[in-house]
Amino acid sequence: MNTLVSRFTSSSSTELKALDSRDPDYGENEASDITWGSLGGFGNLGLNGIPSFNIPTVPDPTAFLRLHTDDAADSSCRIKIQHGTTTLAFRFQGGVIVAVDSRATAGSYIASGTVKKVIEINPHLLGTMAGGAADCQFWETYLGSQCRIYELRNRERISVAAASKYLSNLVYSYKGMGLSMGTMICGWDKTGPAIFYVDSDGTRLKGDVFSVGSGSTFAYGVLDQGYRWDLTDEEAQELGRRSIYAAGHRDAFSGNTCNLYHVKEDGWKFIGNYDITKLHYEGSQGAAYGYDQRTQ
Amino acid sequence: MANADGGAYSYSLTVFSPSGKLVQIEHALAAVAQGTTSLGIKATNGIVIATEKKSSSILIDSSMLDKVSIICPNIGFVYSGMGPDFRILVNSARKSAQAYWKMYGEYPPTRVLTQEIASVMQKATQSGGVRPYGVSLLVAGWDANRGPSLYQVDPSGSFWAWKASAIGKNMVNAKTFLEKRYNDDISLEDAIHTALLTLKEGFEGQMTEKTIEIGIITVPELNSFGEQEKEGGETGRPKPAFRKLTEEEVRDYLAL
Amino acid sequence: MQYNGGSIVAMVGKNCVAIASDLRLGNQALTIATDFEKVFPITDRIYLGMAGLATDVLTLRERFRFRVNMYSIKEEREIEPKTLAQLVSSTLYERRFGPYFIEPIIAGLTDSSKGSQPFIASADLIGCLNFAKDFVVVGTAEDKLLGVAEGLWEPDLEPEDLFETISQTLLNAVDRDAFSGWGAVVHVITPDKVITRTLKGRMD
Repeated sequence: MNTLVSRFTSSSSTELKALDSRDPDYGENEASDITWGSLGGFGNLGLNGIPSFNIPTVPDPTAFLRLHTDDAADSSCRIKIQHGTTTLAFRFQGGVIVAVDSRATAGSYIASGTVKKVIEINPHLLGTMAGGAADCQFWETYLGSQCRIYELRNRERISVAAASKYLSNLVYSYKGMGLSMGTMICGWDKTGPAIFYVDSDGTRLKGDVFSVGSGSTFAYGVLDQGYRWDLTDEEAQELGRRSIYAAGHRDAFSGNTCNLYHVKEDGWKFIGNYDITKLHYEGSQGAAYGYDQRTQ
Repeated sequence: MANADGGAYSYSLTVFSPSGKLVQIEHALAAVAQGTTSLGIKATNGIVIATEKKSSSILIDSSMLDKVSIICPNIGFVYSGMGPDFRILVNSARKSAQAYWKMYGEYPPTRVLTQEIASVMQKATQSGGVRPYGVSLLVAGWDANRGPSLYQVDPSGSFWAWKASAIGKNMVNAKTFLEKRYNDDISLEDAIHTALLTLKEGFEGQMTEKTIEIGIITVPELNSFGEQEKEGGETGRPKPAFRKLTEEEVRDYLAL
Repeated sequence: MQYNGGSIVAMVGKNCVAIASDLRLGNQALTIATDFEKVFPITDRIYLGMAGLATDVLTLRERFRFRVNMYSIKEEREIEPKTLAQLVSSTLYERRFGPYFIEPIIAGLTDSSKGSQPFIASADLIGCLNFAKDFVVVGTAEDKLLGVAEGLWEPDLEPEDLFETISQTLLNAVDRDAFSGWGAVVHVITPDKVITRTLKGRMD
């Protein structure tokens, strides 16, 4: 337990390894753990289970990384961030609804239409993906292992609040180094359904209704208009689907399909995958979503 | 006031006389009527325009004198009246043809260029501080849409299409002559001879290759792509439909 | 070009041509309308498409209407596709140092009395013409369109097959472009009629 506490007392929770030829891990030993695959993709977990990364050997690595990763300052920088996305989650009487789109864009090019933007952290926790796909995927999976370790140590499931705080502290320690995440950690714990918004700036917010990404404004429009605490499960699922459809229709960087999840007391359940164009022309249960289709 | 010379209405500004005439224009036509005779004949496969070229002195190098002018590869002018005025019109017609080419990538149809030059001449009848042009023009041209066509433009800016026409000193006689000789299926070769015969009527002095000028329109042949032949292949200039006969060619026609 | 989005493609067939565009009007990422046509008839056998800044598309549509009307009144004949291409080029180059932000495509058939040949051309925003013999593309999905067209197009397609080819080319290309799509419209021009069809496309 002390190691866990000490991890959060310093401003930096992780060891930052210098990319230096004097480092014994540099060179031929560099990728040995990863090569063997015994650590399941977490080959950089050190002796104490804390990931460590090679960082640039410059006097001010943070400034250096900001220069090369912040694409607002320089659009030609090499490390590209995935911007277009719509994700949403809301809490209601029957649990938590999580709905996301599935589009990945690189500039105006639609790189994929089948991206999984809901990360299944464990059977009771879901995370959503907006911003850097790799950052979300890596850290939320890592969060999954830490949550399992917590369970083993404490003989009980981690609360959504604790899990999200773990993640938020983690990303905060990398602040300014180019991490890009806008995520919602959703689950059901002793307190009932819970959603926390966590982003790479270090923000962590508790709330009932969140939407993140370039299409979030469109999703909020539908969501706020249809949201009530006492929604039935079917109504809530339809609201999530309808909100993602709105964003997919209006936002150029969101679309293709909608992935819908419902978190209940006994864990999350995948409801379905819906083609947004199909929702436009046909709807999900008879009534089409498209304006022309509704109004003739 | 209403004298034979037009009186107060005969000065620089073109104003209507009470009888509804623009006397300045009539004076301009009189200047044309003093000019050497020019004529044009449209044939089935082309057009001929010809004119008498008179030098006031034998010392003048008549090869410098140009009375038949190329405007663009498919259009040529001939005039009767004042030489200097003609040069101005040729200049503006050439510019206008090039401007058309810049806009549309092809040279103007005869009718469009004629309209253009007619409006230049009309302007001189309505603007302040200018006098009408002292020339009548014969415009011979070919275009893909209308084929060969022959127009006459007068100082007033009015223009007509003709099968055959004459302007200048001997125009009345020449027209009468042409009316007798013209028929609808005349060939270009015959038309050239008719043109020479017409000029011979009332010609002062000896008719030689030095004293007449001839320009002809020939219809360009279609190539295998159904397009008019071009010089130098795909990007070349359009093969000219209008050309002036050389002195040798004129001599050969005179000899026949 | 990315401000409003939109894409156009034109293809040559056997004795026919086709031109197709998407229907999106956007404001950057926000889709404002899904019924914005970018292809306009110039004569009953020549169509002109413009992709790019929507305000310039509308302005130039009127400008070209004016210029083509003046042309046909003056010349007492319909304009030919090749002449229209030159006119479009000249009009765009007039604004060499403050260009209209559009890229045009012309598709048409030449005068039927001279054999009615298919004709297509495109130009950049300052009027550099490209007379292609197979297909031309412009707009935010031009790179994607070029790739699909390269794979689907073949010579001497009959009108119905050309319609299928151009429709599939457009629909599949704009599905990979964030700024184009939301429906499409296709015109197939044949010597005796123009077939215009509105297609259902992906609405995201």
